[in-house]
Amino acid sequence: MSFYQQYGIVAIVAVFGALLYAVIMLVNRIMRPTIPSPLKLSVYECGVESEGVGWSQMNIRYYVFAFLFVIFDVEAVFIFPWAVIVGDLDATTRISPVFALVAMFLFIGTLLEGLAYAWKKGVLTWE
Amino acid sequence: MAIDWLAIAPEVALTVTALLVLAADLALRGDAKQLVNPLAMIGTVVAIVFAVVLWAEAPRVAFEGQYVVDSFAVAFKLLFLGTLLAILAISARYFAEGRYFQGEYYFLLLTAFIGMLLMPSARDLLVLFIALETVSVPAFVMVGMRKRDLYSSEAALKFFLIGVLSAALMLFGMSMVYGFTGTTRLEGIAQALAGDAGSVPLLLGSVMLVIVGFGFKISAVPFHFWAPDTYAGSPLPVAAMLAVASKAAGFAGLLTIAFVAFEPVADVWAPVLGVLAILTMTLGNLVALQQRDLIRLLAYSSIAQAGYMLIPFGLARPGAEVVNQAAVRAVLFYLIAYAVMNVGAFAVAIGVNRRTGERSIRDYAGLGTRSPLLALAMTVFLLSLGGAPLTVGLWAKFAIIEAVAVEVTVFGLVMASFLVVNSVIAFFYYLRVIREIWFEPAAAEAPRLQPALSLSVVVVVLMVGTILLGVLPGLVADPTVVTTFATGG
Amino acid sequence: MTAHDLVFVIVGLVTAVSAILVVTSRHLMHAALYLALTLTGIGGVFLVLGAGFIALVQVVVYVGAVAVLFLFGLMLTRAPIGREALDSQNRGLGLAVAGALFVLLAALIIPAFGGESTAEVTGPTIEAIGIAIFADWVLPFEVLSMLLLAALIGAILLARREAGESGTEAEVTRIEMGEALADEPDRHEAVGTSAPAGELGAGGGR
Repeated sequence: MSFYQQYGIVAIVAVFGALLYAVIMLVNRIMRPTIPSPLKLSVYECGVESEGVGWSQMNIRYYVFAFLFVIFDVEAVFIFPWAVIVGDLDATTRISPVFALVAMFLFIGTLLEGLAYAWKKGVLTWE
Repeated sequence: MAIDWLAIAPEVALTVTALLVLAADLALRGDAKQLVNPLAMIGTVVAIVFAVVLWAEAPRVAFEGQYVVDSFAVAFKLLFLGTLLAILAISARYFAEGRYFQGEYYFLLLTAFIGMLLMPSARDLLVLFIALETVSVPAFVMVGMRKRDLYSSEAALKFFLIGVLSAALMLFGMSMVYGFTGTTRLEGIAQALAGDAGSVPLLLGSVMLVIVGFGFKISAVPFHFWAPDTYAGSPLPVAAMLAVASKAAGFAGLLTIAFVAFEPVADVWAPVLGVLAILTMTLGNLVALQQRDLIRLLAYSSIAQAGYMLIPFGLARPGAEVVNQAAVRAVLFYLIAYAVMNVGAFAVAIGVNRRTGERSIRDYAGLGTRSPLLALAMTVFLLSLGGAPLTVGLWAKFAIIEAVAVEVTVFGLVMASFLVVNSVIAFFYYLRVIREIWFEPAAAEAPRLQPALSLSVVVVVLMVGTILLGVLPGLVADPTVVTTFATGG
Repeated sequence: MTAHDLVFVIVGLVTAVSAILVVTSRHLMHAALYLALTLTGIGGVFLVLGAGFIALVQVVVYVGAVAVLFLFGLMLTRAPIGREALDSQNRGLGLAVAGALFVLLAALIIPAFGGESTAEVTGPTIEAIGIAIFADWVLPFEVLSMLLLAALIGAILLARREAGESGTEAEVTRIEMGEALADEPDRHEAVGTSAPAGELGAGGGR
């Protein structure tokens, strides 16, 4: 498939999705009754009036989680092409399936030790 | 696909050790954690054995020419591993007493050294870049390890920001070089540069960007200003690592990339690096004169030393085999000498600083009575850094002059005269510390120092090495004469 | 101008405009979100150039993870992040540097690559990338795992709150500065004692 065929379909799906959304919202707007009142903009009856600003300082633990996510995200990026090829490998390809398997599991195993470290040091639990 | 395991045996040994150290840190509790230090040492010794075996086996080409173990690479590997052993020995008590993050520290230290071992063997831009980052990333963290100390945080932040900026510039340069030459192999780049590509302005700019990235690592002016703050704020063994091993790794990378990949355009980068050499040594020495803190003094002195080591780069010319080989040898010999004397100086600083927290030059007053061994060793190391006779420092400077003399040029003579003038300036501040050590009375409350056994051993070995090589420089100079770049596949 | 060029120009414009918005936005959070959009746009550029896998990596790693890390980082550091005066008063300088860099790069890149003949782009397939990683680049690949592990350990080490075990510290540094700063001992004092002495002692209990 050429570039246009491949991504043309994606583009059509995207445009169709956007259109669907627009049409539904439009129909909604046409059909619903519109009676604006200031009460409707207030917090729900049982809620507490909000005070101050919405920003607050976060716990540093979130950062550790986010960082763990980045590291394993990068790992996933390498697993993806590996997963695509590993099934097709045999004696005729440039690399043997065993080689690819060992290479990938060394990579994953190394990073697993990092996960074990995080676990042992208690950064994965929320006290 | 067959892997040449022997070629990467030292790296594998260090990797296994690093992973074991981390596992041991998780398994051990309390004081038993101190066992990670001997564990790391055993791994280092194993790696040294492999490197010595490789010395006889060189040259070996592995990974289709990405990775070459020639005598140049093995010499560097032995230099790094020896430094690692010394740093492990001087770290032991420092980290055990401070109850630092011992397991993490030794893991990060070993990881940084894996990157260093890869550096002189890398014959591919990608491998070179990964190696460089493997040196840098653990170093960023190690510098910031003293988390409650704002100086440490400042040191780490400065180091990180400048390190990342230079890595980005270098990567941009590398991508342009790849885009233009169509290969990441250093040999292939050299071939492309020898052809038409050598005259394209963009490519020459990219070559300079790549070289600039290494300029940060070796703290050459104008990329030097992180060094004093970072050395001063980091744990002292880490400062020693940055000043010696990390700098040597930068030089290893710079040597390979300059003399293998960019050799055909040497007439473009050589004058630039030569001018940088002059600026670096002059600025480093002049600022060092103003310092009151010994670590900052050593930092500026190490900047100046980097300037000396850049001189041979200024001599390089495309196609001039003899000149270029002499330049590579001079840098290598200087680095070995520099490692011996500078690790020694930092070891003494750790011995003095460990319990007392003293680090200003004033605090070294009367060291001669407080600890004759440390005082004597510091004197030898400082004299050697200055380049006094009977120390290896003299021969290191002589090696550079020798490289200049291979083919005398006006620019070479200018650089050599700067070297001589700067050496004289440097003696002022080295001698000031020595005067403080021997001729000033110790403060009344200053305790006698009892350095740890491992630290004393390191100091004595390095002191003997400084003098022994000062008398018989051939011990190192002769084996490194065979040092040449083997061609990758 | 082919349709391909048109798509490229559109994607490039989106990227460039959002990049400008990153630096002009007065709201820190908006700036971070524009950055995410810029990174997505770069992913789009890769896609248009036929490098589908790289585009995927760009979106998964940069938009999915790094931008999130960025937002977390912002929320961590400056407690109330509102519409603050983010202007560092260096607009002129920033514009000059950016402009000079643009002109320099354009002057270097256009003559260097401008003469290349254009061809329909075909990026490598994901299979080719997979084979290349394991056949040609297995050494840097494995070293990368150590690099990532070091980054992971380092981030945890710096971010975690130390409890017992290996958490205590040595003395705070006292650095002797050069002549110039020696006259202001107050500054040293302030920095040196910023870590409460009691806390230092308490941690070392184990």
